[in-house]
Amino acid sequence: MEFLKYTAKRVLQVIPLLIIVSLISFFIIRLSPIDPLAELRLNPSISQETLDKEMKRLNLDKPIYIQYFSWAKSFIKGDLGYTTAGEKVSTKLKERIPNTLLLTMVVIFMTWAAGVPIGILSAVKKETSLDRLLTVISSIGMAIPSFFFAILMLIFAVKTGWFPVGGLTSYNFNEMGFFEKIADISKHLVLPVIVLFTISLSGLQRQMRANMLEVLDSDYVKFARAKGLSEGKVIFKHALRNAVNPMITLLGFEFAGLLSGAALTEYVFQYPGLGRLILEAVMKSDINLVMASLMMGTIMLIAGNLIADILLMITDPRLRGRS
Amino acid sequence: MNKVFSLILILVSLGILLKACIRQDIPQSFPERIITRELREINYPDNEKNINLNGVDYLQSQAPVGKFGGELIISTIGEGPKTFNPCNTKDATSSAMAGMLYDGLVTTNPVTGDVKPLLAKEFSVNGCDYVINLRKGIKWTDGKPITAEDVMYTYNEIVFKGLGNPSAMDAMKVEGKLPVIQKLDDYTVKFTTPKPFAPFLRQLSYPIVPKHYFKPYSDKGESVFNAFLSPNTPPAEIISSGAFMLKEYVPAQRVVFVRNPDYYKINLNDNKLPYLNKVVYMIVGDTNNEILKFEAKEIDVLALRGSNVARYKIREPESDYVIYNLGPDTGTLFLVINLNNRKDKDGKPYVNPIKHKWFANRDFRASIDWALDRKNMVQNIALGIAEPLFTAESLNSIFLNKYIKGHPCDLNVAEESLKKAGFINREGKLYDADGNRVEFDLYTNAGNLEREAVGVMIKQDLENLGMKVNFKPVEFNSLVNKLTNTHDWDMAVMGLTGSPLEPHDGKNVWTSSGSLHMFNQRPANYKIDDRLDWEKEIDEIFTKGALKLSFDERKPLYDRYQTIIYNQKPIIYLYSPIRITAIRKKFKNVFPTSLGGLIYNLDEIYIDEDKN
Amino acid sequence: MDVLRKIFQDKFAKSALIVLALLYLLILCADFIAPYSNTYSNREMSYAPPSKIYTIDERGKLSWPYTYNYVREYEPALMQTVFKQDRSKKYYIKFFPKAENITGLIPRHLFGVEKGGELYLLGTDINGRDVFSRILFGGRISMTVGFLSLLIVFPIGLLYGGISGYFGGIIDTLMMRFAEAVMAIPSFYLLIILAAILPNGMSSVQRFALIIVILGLIGWAGFARVVRGMVLSIKNEDFVQAEKTIGASNMRIILKHILPQTTSYVIIAMTLSVPSYILAESGLSFLGLGIQQPDASWGNMLKEAQEFTNILYRPWLLTPGVLIFIAVLSFNLLGDAIRDVLDPKSQKRVK
Repeated sequence: MEFLKYTAKRVLQVIPLLIIVSLISFFIIRLSPIDPLAELRLNPSISQETLDKEMKRLNLDKPIYIQYFSWAKSFIKGDLGYTTAGEKVSTKLKERIPNTLLLTMVVIFMTWAAGVPIGILSAVKKETSLDRLLTVISSIGMAIPSFFFAILMLIFAVKTGWFPVGGLTSYNFNEMGFFEKIADISKHLVLPVIVLFTISLSGLQRQMRANMLEVLDSDYVKFARAKGLSEGKVIFKHALRNAVNPMITLLGFEFAGLLSGAALTEYVFQYPGLGRLILEAVMKSDINLVMASLMMGTIMLIAGNLIADILLMITDPRLRGRS
Repeated sequence: MNKVFSLILILVSLGILLKACIRQDIPQSFPERIITRELREINYPDNEKNINLNGVDYLQSQAPVGKFGGELIISTIGEGPKTFNPCNTKDATSSAMAGMLYDGLVTTNPVTGDVKPLLAKEFSVNGCDYVINLRKGIKWTDGKPITAEDVMYTYNEIVFKGLGNPSAMDAMKVEGKLPVIQKLDDYTVKFTTPKPFAPFLRQLSYPIVPKHYFKPYSDKGESVFNAFLSPNTPPAEIISSGAFMLKEYVPAQRVVFVRNPDYYKINLNDNKLPYLNKVVYMIVGDTNNEILKFEAKEIDVLALRGSNVARYKIREPESDYVIYNLGPDTGTLFLVINLNNRKDKDGKPYVNPIKHKWFANRDFRASIDWALDRKNMVQNIALGIAEPLFTAESLNSIFLNKYIKGHPCDLNVAEESLKKAGFINREGKLYDADGNRVEFDLYTNAGNLEREAVGVMIKQDLENLGMKVNFKPVEFNSLVNKLTNTHDWDMAVMGLTGSPLEPHDGKNVWTSSGSLHMFNQRPANYKIDDRLDWEKEIDEIFTKGALKLSFDERKPLYDRYQTIIYNQKPIIYLYSPIRITAIRKKFKNVFPTSLGGLIYNLDEIYIDEDKN
Repeated sequence: MDVLRKIFQDKFAKSALIVLALLYLLILCADFIAPYSNTYSNREMSYAPPSKIYTIDERGKLSWPYTYNYVREYEPALMQTVFKQDRSKKYYIKFFPKAENITGLIPRHLFGVEKGGELYLLGTDINGRDVFSRILFGGRISMTVGFLSLLIVFPIGLLYGGISGYFGGIIDTLMMRFAEAVMAIPSFYLLIILAAILPNGMSSVQRFALIIVILGLIGWAGFARVVRGMVLSIKNEDFVQAEKTIGASNMRIILKHILPQTTSYVIIAMTLSVPSYILAESGLSFLGLGIQQPDASWGNMLKEAQEFTNILYRPWLLTPGVLIFIAVLSFNLLGDAIRDVLDPKSQKRVK
């Protein structure tokens, strides 16, 4: 019961958050001097009539608050509207979300698989040269501008011929067998994953190291040590679980972070993901598309946090009473 | 131990430092490259012929007979097609893709620029009457015949109603009136224009669509029709007429076309074209990605730009591609000056009246023209792969005014011209007759390396005259908004794509009421006649030029308009890039032309791996 | 001082500190060190490779360092531009030559070349501008953008977090919901949208200032949230309660007693967040929304470098990327060290 009540409360909290986010983003975008019809206007063969028709279709001739309300009304009804190019926003999102989920999942899995052990290792070997070395190595990854790293990777792909240059599937993907398909996608994923992995590794590693240090310093670990348990047992049986718990809260943010952090990487690699879609939409002030994707991003972030909280409640008995 | 280690480290680094400092002066030797440049002689095939086989009016290609099979992978820059509906395309990619699917009645001869029949078997022009004979026995991809009904439907219910993209309708209007179309029999239609109208014949290249497939949607009105044939339409559903049919569209990645097995074009052996099994368009985001894909052999054709040309040219002899020089591009780069003297709705002038006085002065504009160093723009920014430009028509236009020769950069002439206009140069600073310092803003779209570099050069060139130039690259959309809506700009570096065959297509730019008349933009439905004398003359030229039918009658008119622009200089042209394209050697029947490009004849191109 | 000493004990942090000090010294003295002004351009020398400096002449004798000028030649057959050395005249390197147009305090440059000679240590860019000089001037923007943004982030974040945490209750809930909403919008898109809003027609100084403001407007929310958390725990401590009982005003308590307690966190957050601003500036420039031509920043210089042929044939254009890398890495290492030193928890452990 407690549990359900908590979940319901959290879900209700989402509503004002969505309203604020939508208000901020809608007004900021609409106040910008970006003209969604710029490209059309610059085409000598497009007539004034076409432009007027487009203005009407996109509601650009109405005051901004009316634009917002008409957007909000249809959003509540579940209608995400059309892009400036006349495509359905919902289908566009549907095309991209699976690709982004695929990329993000792989990256998150990899960073966790590598970041957590490295974090533990550097916490246990605290302030030794190994700890230093690990921190420096992971910092190096964070220091390269992502787009630049991605470009270098693409050139690497060209020079060696080992990996395809961007995209997600080869042109003859549909004629492949099942296993060939998997191999093809994996081949395309390697480089973007490497870039995003190197960039997000260090944050996770630092966090894990800090948590682990805190836990190792706590009384119950000291107690366990005093009991004469072996160091390995202390670390893996007692400390690890408690150090990983707070990390779960990070998951939600990490997901949202990757959504925006991946934009430039997706752009350079021509990866058909959500990040690149939003980037292009923002640059063109494609309001319905931007708003829908920002809303999606917010919902994903909140859902991520919610799941993380629930996971925490399940794993950490101490929190159960608090809620 | 540690000390020894540090000592070694210090010694090594000192050594490296010393090595870096000491460099012997050995003369560089440039190996004499033996430049074997066989001029590729291109033997253009004769025009296609009409041949009737078993009651079907085929179009017979006169190009050498090739082998069937294989695929050609090309790239398209941007976000990919937004629609496959040929009547509703508003961007170049969508037009190209829809153009693959639907043929028009006529097309352009890529060598001469003349109009030649395509879906039509033949046509005849007599004053205002255009009689079109259709091919008998040719079919849509679903097996239904293509008849006069489809042509009637396309024009009467789509084009003339302004459905989809109404620009086609707009372009066909002569003094506000539309042509009339009549069906003479099942395979003959007749168009009648209200007045003789030169651009009309070329406009018959508008794609013809199948009535039985389109009508249910066009009947439901605008919004349904606009959503019809969106990129998400299942490819198998699409009924088309082109040489290739849509096979697959993967958003943001590629568009795949497969051979139409029942196309109406045949080769010299009477086998049905096209040769290629597949044509794949890879959707790439920018030119950088395109080059990388070509390097990795993921695409077969690459348009080369400035800095890349040398790399590919040098490696051409040992490579698997050939490079063709297609001559100057239709793209133009120019500096546009804001001559607007109107006020916004709050009564504030768009352009500061002091500045307007300068800009409105022809001598001031001329001084700018003379101060611009086009030679170094071409050399530095396009790395030599461009030509200086002085005319409003692009260099490959058949209407190009060849008498306009242009001029080199000459600061003396520029200063002379400024003096004539009453400007005074005091200690390297330019003042107008009223003592105002000459200072203005120069815009271009940010993120475009080429235009930013051009802007930097123009700034320097004009500062040589003592002007103060604030160079401000702004985001593309905001710039267009400035140019077409808010009008609050002084000068801008922009580019447009010209139309090498039909100068009338530029009427939105040049006529005073045009929606892209940037240098003196009037609001829509502007009633006051405040045209400058030369604007008036250009308006007249464009009206007259469209009504004359023969090229020889039209040419002097359009020559005149280019002379006016060259003399008045509201837009100062800078340069046109030269189009250089690489294609893999294995592709045969490639007949590049300046007007058509490299792969306009996708249905004739075939693959031969052995013969090189 | 104790802190500095501790940082100097750490090898990585020490070298990071030295590198950063060196970088800041270089950009501070850019007018003096750079052989060319930031408006210099030689259009006959677009994309010229770095000048070669010789210390041994062609006869094998040791010589005062000298260089040759380049001449540009265009080979129409290959459509290629090549730079050849003009070996007819040697130009000797000069130290402390007179500056042509004085921009800095000192009317001389650190080094230069004899009159008529050209010295491009790192080659030139598309407009024939000296890359070495532009790196120094561009560094002024790239290396300060972070700190200046923090000047906006910290006051807002501290005050917002302080008030929210101190008062608690409905105020806290409302303020935190708003901060969370700002955080929920993926920052990079917010950045792009805001950068696109920048009124065009601004001078480069204004644009620089506004980019800083924007970067600041995005960063404050996360920071405020952490401050609030800290304030929540500090406000229950005895000395705060004591202040309350003697009737100090709320604002005074927040400003004078609570916020100073967060100093060490602020310093850590500062060094750790500077690099993200440097990277954000380069990302904006990549999209053409950052610092604009003709002004230089490492971000917009790197944008020019990222073309495929430039990376292959004109690698000197990549130097800004290397410098971004070095600067960001140094800030990260320094930040790590400062955190280890200042973090009360880790101090406890050291004991």
